Amino acid sequence: MATFPKLKTNAVAQYPATRALRYQNQLVRFLDGSDQRYRDASGPLHRWIIRLNELDEGEQAAMEGFFLSNQGQFGNFAFLDPWDGTSYPSCSLSSDQLDLTAVGEMQGQTSLTVVENQT
Amino acid sequence: MYPQLPTGALSQFPLRKRRLARTVVNTMADGSTIKLPDVAAQTTEWQLQYTGLSDAELATLQQFFASMEGSLNGFTFLDPNGNLLAWSDDPSQVEWQKGSFLTLTGGVADPVGGTSAWTVANTGAGAQSLAQTLNAPSVYVYCLSVYAQAAQPTTITLQLASLSIARPLRTGWNRFTITGTGDAEATSVTFGIELPAGSAITLYGPQAEPQESASAYKSSTTGGVYENAHFRDDAFSYTSTGVNRNSTTVNIVYANNL
Repeated sequence: MATFPKLKTNAVAQYPATRALRYQNQLVRFLDGSDQRYRDASGPLHRWIIRLNELDEGEQAAMEGFFLSNQGQFGNFAFLDPWDGTSYPSCSLSSDQLDLTAVGEMQGQTSLTVVENQT
Repeated sequence: MYPQLPTGALSQFPLRKRRLARTVVNTMADGSTIKLPDVAAQTTEWQLQYTGLSDAELATLQQFFASMEGSLNGFTFLDPNGNLLAWSDDPSQVEWQKGSFLTLTGGVADPVGGTSAWTVANTGAGAQSLAQTLNAPSVYVYCLSVYAQAAQPTTITLQLASLSIARPLRTGWNRFTITGTGDAEATSVTFGIELPAGSAITLYGPQAEPQESASAYKSSTTGGVYENAHFRDDAFSYTSTGVNRNSTTVNIVYANNL
């Protein structure tokens, strides 16, 4: 199983980092105004926005290689939540697009959004 | 081929690169998904911003743009921020041409704390090399670099087209480089590492770049030679910011399916 690449500092993310939870509930509304709600998934799904700055060329290449090996949002990989160290075994990138900017030598920037897959 | 600046660089900072994939996604009511990849639809885009170009440098770019007739014709583009060699961490791949008496052992500790180095042993009676031949412009300036060490004193020879340079090799990691151009009239450039008979060395991070000096090592699988790249736009505009000082921005696209 592929894993999300770590930086040379061994960190997964930098500040500011964003984490979100999402439930997948369904709602059926009746004519009298009442409604019935139910879970359509067993639990919350997580989402992380990883913004990376001051990357050296090797770290940029690692992120690019990871994107290519996953073929954008197609591939699955394990992601280690930088907040609590929990490993989420089935995650994907949220987008088919990766932007890399080299502002200067050893000053690369990129951003990736990781989503936990419903299994 | 896309023109190199007189400094030997292909671009200036900032350099923007965009990778685009295409995935067909069917999302179910419970949030689960079925995905299909579309490998042929992958594209790569570069945005090259130039400032402080001399009139001659600008004219070279402009002439090249005119010769390509904007986005009409394709050309070979080398990733300015990439490693031109494919499978730089895995010399067992077919992209590498290996001497028949070379044996490769992977998973060796590398100088950056990983295990991506390889021990290469030459069991033959003559020199043997590990090389890649790229369909890259021969008139470019290139830099080949590699980290190497050996348990026993020996030599390592770096080869760039017909150029070669031998260096003594001892214990402890050192980075070796060779800079030069390809052979005139050649349609490809060969980058190689040669071992003398009976030697064994540990290699890490072979890297070829279209510039005069080596930058930080970038692991690569696909390589950085993009044949049949195109200008994204049909217009070429520039701004003269002073005497013999010009700025312009060029967008280049490469599509896997072309």
